[in-house]
Amino acid sequence: MTVQRTLLSLLPGESAFIDKLDVGISTCKLLNLGVLPKTKVTMVRKAPFGGAYYIKLDGHQLAVRTEEAATIILENQI
Amino acid sequence: MKTSKLNIALLGNPNSGKSSLFNHLTGLRQHVSNFPGVTVDKKSGTIFLENGVEANIIDFPGTYSVYPNSSEEKIVINILTDKTNDNYPDLVVYVADATQLERHLLFATQIIDLGLPMIFVLNMIDLISEQGDILDIKPLEKYLGVKVIPVSVRNNEHLDSLTHEISAASQQIKGLEIPIKYVFTDVENFVATRIQKSLSTTSLYTAKVIAHHYKWLNHLDEDQKNKIKTITEQSAFNDLNLQVRETMDRYNHFAPVVRETIKVAKREKKSLTDKIDDIITHRFWGPIIFFAIMFLMFQSIYSWSSVPMDLIETGFAEIGNLLTNSLPAGWWTDLLVNGLLAGLGGVLVFVPQIAVLFLLISLLEESGYMSRAVYMFDIVMRKFGMNGRSMVALISSGACAIPAIMSTRTISDPKERLITILVSPLISCSARLPVYAVLVGFVVADTDVLGIFNMQGLVFMGLYLLGIVGALVSALVFKAILKSENNSFLMIELPNYKPPIWKNVFLTVKEKVTSFVVEAGKIIVLISIALWFLASYGPGNDLEEATTNAQNISIEKQLSDQDRDNLIASYKIEASYIGHLGQWIEPAIKPLGFDWKMGIAILTSFAAREVFVGTMATIYSIGSDNDEQTLRQKMASEKRPGTEINVYNPATSLSLLVFYVFAMQCMSTLAIVKRETNTWKWPIIQFIFMSVLAYVGSFIVYQLMT
Repeated sequence: MTVQRTLLSLLPGESAFIDKLDVGISTCKLLNLGVLPKTKVTMVRKAPFGGAYYIKLDGHQLAVRTEEAATIILENQI
Repeated sequence: MKTSKLNIALLGNPNSGKSSLFNHLTGLRQHVSNFPGVTVDKKSGTIFLENGVEANIIDFPGTYSVYPNSSEEKIVINILTDKTNDNYPDLVVYVADATQLERHLLFATQIIDLGLPMIFVLNMIDLISEQGDILDIKPLEKYLGVKVIPVSVRNNEHLDSLTHEISAASQQIKGLEIPIKYVFTDVENFVATRIQKSLSTTSLYTAKVIAHHYKWLNHLDEDQKNKIKTITEQSAFNDLNLQVRETMDRYNHFAPVVRETIKVAKREKKSLTDKIDDIITHRFWGPIIFFAIMFLMFQSIYSWSSVPMDLIETGFAEIGNLLTNSLPAGWWTDLLVNGLLAGLGGVLVFVPQIAVLFLLISLLEESGYMSRAVYMFDIVMRKFGMNGRSMVALISSGACAIPAIMSTRTISDPKERLITILVSPLISCSARLPVYAVLVGFVVADTDVLGIFNMQGLVFMGLYLLGIVGALVSALVFKAILKSENNSFLMIELPNYKPPIWKNVFLTVKEKVTSFVVEAGKIIVLISIALWFLASYGPGNDLEEATTNAQNISIEKQLSDQDRDNLIASYKIEASYIGHLGQWIEPAIKPLGFDWKMGIAILTSFAAREVFVGTMATIYSIGSDNDEQTLRQKMASEKRPGTEINVYNPATSLSLLVFYVFAMQCMSTLAIVKRETNTWKWPIIQFIFMSVLAYVGSFIVYQLMT
């Protein structure tokens, strides 16, 4: 069994491809905002007081909370 | 009932430029109201089509999809699934950001599937060519089956052809039927077909959307809801999974279309927005820059608005004097000058502050900075049940709570917005300053400690801190008490930085000022007339007796005319209804160290806090035109009847200061809270909790110090 890697495992500046989303209350909203499987996501930085992340997708930027980022599952190879 | 006028809806995702297009199309022919029963702005206006027909155009709240996450989006879905709704559109003008086409197509294809006629406006094509991308609208038009019009609202490109297309489309609305794009699963098909039959909706897709949302759709009655409940439960209709499935399916279908429509050129590694954000959202510099911006904003509200505010105040005073001197003396001249005119002045004096704050806030909002603030302070404010935007409101409250409360409209979560509204007036505003200035000298002497700090300065700072702590603690209490319907999200777009569109800024300022003057103004004028009545009339012939008494004393003591008038004013306010009220509440405020004179001042301060100073001047019969210095000397020499104890001893003075920190003594704030929450419930609750806080706070201070 392989361990699932989430967005939270990325260090600032690192990128990866999204594998899938853990279906929950935030899933639809993430999809609406372009957080889609097979899309490249870059971790830009952590919020000054923590709790949220600045991420970059195909040509646009989003802020997500820790618990929201935890539902974004990444593909294994970078 | 639907009006005969054509209803055109502007729909699209947030940040699509929808509102800019609305401002372009309607200009000043727009007005803001609420959607029935909710406090969500409904911006509507009139446009004239080419054939001379007038059409009604509504700027709907920005929406990502038919699966809503906020109460604003829910309103949109309520209307789009209800053909009998007043606001149901005859034609949809869908606005999409060409640089984010893929995401913005999601809601567009859903609207087409709901069976609504549409014109698809592809906005921001200037950025497409700037980035070196190549645009070809044919594949998109073919896929959507509706007219696509590429425009740039910012640069005024192709907007004429848009008006032309709207006119043309509005003439032949019931034309082609576009087949539903979404391929239903068996379960969806089964459920939707049965709901379609039961409700006789026209589109099968509308039936599916209803199946997802029937619980909160307000156009369905209980009977219909029960039927739908049975249908969905019998067929194991999984709400969440099917939402996700539909969204993914749509993306998969139009992703190739997007690639054909916009041929993306190679991007530079770092865009300008990336470079700006490296500094502005930096973990260390970000908050520092934020507080610097807030400090500048705070300063501007103070300094830019002080001159116009003084002009308004002196202007109204001049007009008042003019009227008093030229009109025959009588109760109605008094009502006109001291009731109505004073009330109007009390409304208009806030206009400069509101205008300056909204000028600056809409600049921050338009440029894209505000969402960065939300991102940076999310965790901090969330602990207090608020939102990153609340930070801006709380800081603005340091100048004045009224524009601050009006600025909470952009907080989409109702609970976070409500908490921000409720606690904002606890932050010490500029109207408290005169009160603090008069009283602080009675608490501590004007001496230095440790060579650098001034004692009075420290007390001042303590009062401001007390207000901040009071606001945050109250927020925690409200966070625990209030229930929330929505799940809390951050997930916010950080749009690319753009220069602001001045027309949008100007229209925001104009809208905020008008809505304050019209909506809150009515209430403020009524309350100030009531206060005027209470201060000008008394029970029985109390007032006449007081006047005679004062006149006799003046003759006895051979007072000058000026001193005589001051003495009469002092005796009269004591004999008026409000004077009686002040004496009546004395037993209640005695444990706080207050006498009935302070009682009167507290009551009249309900008009506005700074009225305290004027009332005190009247009570101590020094005339309200005298400066604070005279008043302070008079107050300092006041002794408790029959004793040598100072009335304004440190305990009483500090207790009174604490009272002014917490108490809700501002009818204008209450009026604006009523307007913003659409009910008297919240201003009443706010008034009660702040009064209790003030009473308890003063009680503790006075009892500890004596």
